Amino acid sequence: MKSIPHYLLLLGMLVVTVAFALVLYLLKASLGKPLAEPGKDVPAESGQLALKPAWVRYHVHYYGFALLFLCFDMEMAFMYPWAVVYKELGITALLDMGVFLMILFLGLVYTWNQGGLKRQ
Amino acid sequence: MENPLTLLVVLLLFGGGVYALAVLEYWSVAGQLAWGRPARLVLHLLLKEEIRPRQSDTVLYETAPVLFLAAAALAAAVLPWSADAPLLGLATGALFVNAAFAYVMVAMLMGGWAVNGVYAMLGGWRFLGQLIAYSMPLVMALTATVMRAESMLPARIVTSQLELWNIVYQPIGFGLFYLAALALAFLPPFDFPVAAGELAGGVWAEFTGARLLLFRLGRLLLIMTLALTVTVFFLGGWQGPWLPGFAWTFLKTLLVAASFFGVGRYLPRLRYDQMLEWSWKYATPAALVNILWVGILLLL
Repeated sequence: MKSIPHYLLLLGMLVVTVAFALVLYLLKASLGKPLAEPGKDVPAESGQLALKPAWVRYHVHYYGFALLFLCFDMEMAFMYPWAVVYKELGITALLDMGVFLMILFLGLVYTWNQGGLKRQ
Repeated sequence: MENPLTLLVVLLLFGGGVYALAVLEYWSVAGQLAWGRPARLVLHLLLKEEIRPRQSDTVLYETAPVLFLAAAALAAAVLPWSADAPLLGLATGALFVNAAFAYVMVAMLMGGWAVNGVYAMLGGWRFLGQLIAYSMPLVMALTATVMRAESMLPARIVTSQLELWNIVYQPIGFGLFYLAALALAFLPPFDFPVAAGELAGGVWAEFTGARLLLFRLGRLLLIMTLALTVTVFFLGGWQGPWLPGFAWTFLKTLLVAASFFGVGRYLPRLRYDQMLEWSWKYATPAALVNILWVGILLLL
């Protein structure tokens, strides 16, 4: 419960940031409006006007890495509390996490071996 | 926050540091120190016509610049400047810094998607790939410092380095964190999402005026915060002789930030798929080795 004032302060900082942005926008708006001219609001595309919208299906070439990332990111969730109590628990903590990490690491090596670690 | 005067000094130093970084960044590109340039650039961006791309996604378009700035500012809030002036002594500080940095990617992806332009979109997707590459070394290197301090409180991590700074105690971790920090702030060897000259500005291509100003300010704040993170977690934070704590933090932070800009001058831009490959083949195993290394040292 001790940290609630801290989180309130962080929330306050968020509010201040938003307020700062709003003040900046107001200042900007007070300095005049843009002229309405044809073709001005079209996104840049090498000197020509974009013909199609950009919101299309995009092949994310790194999907294999993304799956690996998910596994390792889950593992990180366990690493943080483990790191805090590591010294207290000693060799037991090292072995416990070592087995867990070894399994994950073998997975990484297997992926590498199967050619998963390159652009698909 | 015990002493309001220290807080004021720290805030002034932080603001001044951000301004100095703007000057340094231009110096790293153009080779001259133009002290008035950042102020002129702010005026320029404020006076510039603000064009909003057609068919843009309003919610994402408005959220992205503010979120970007907020992520950097919130991360800076939990990092201590001196023994008696942690702006916020958050018990889960190390984790919070990480969580805040994750939103940098979210903001950039939002910005890339919102404007409905191909260059911006490519920049956004690239940065997502970049996150998958830099995130593991960054997080694992941080965890190793937490192991040594037995606490996630950043101030405790600084005091754990009284005898030996983490840069010497875990050099692999430092190297990985440094490179990951460069990638997180998309500084030159890793500047995929904005890639001037290749993606024509990438994610920022369609942002003008006040919103671009917020992005640029957020980027500088992010670099400052990252340099501060390196200082606190690896360079002994406020420790040093003669000068007061916050002065040491300030000096170290500026030096680290200057080195960030310096690295980019001498390296060509990588390809993001190469970066992904190297990160998962070499950097992630190295980060695991670093954790094992620290684990063994702690048990000896």
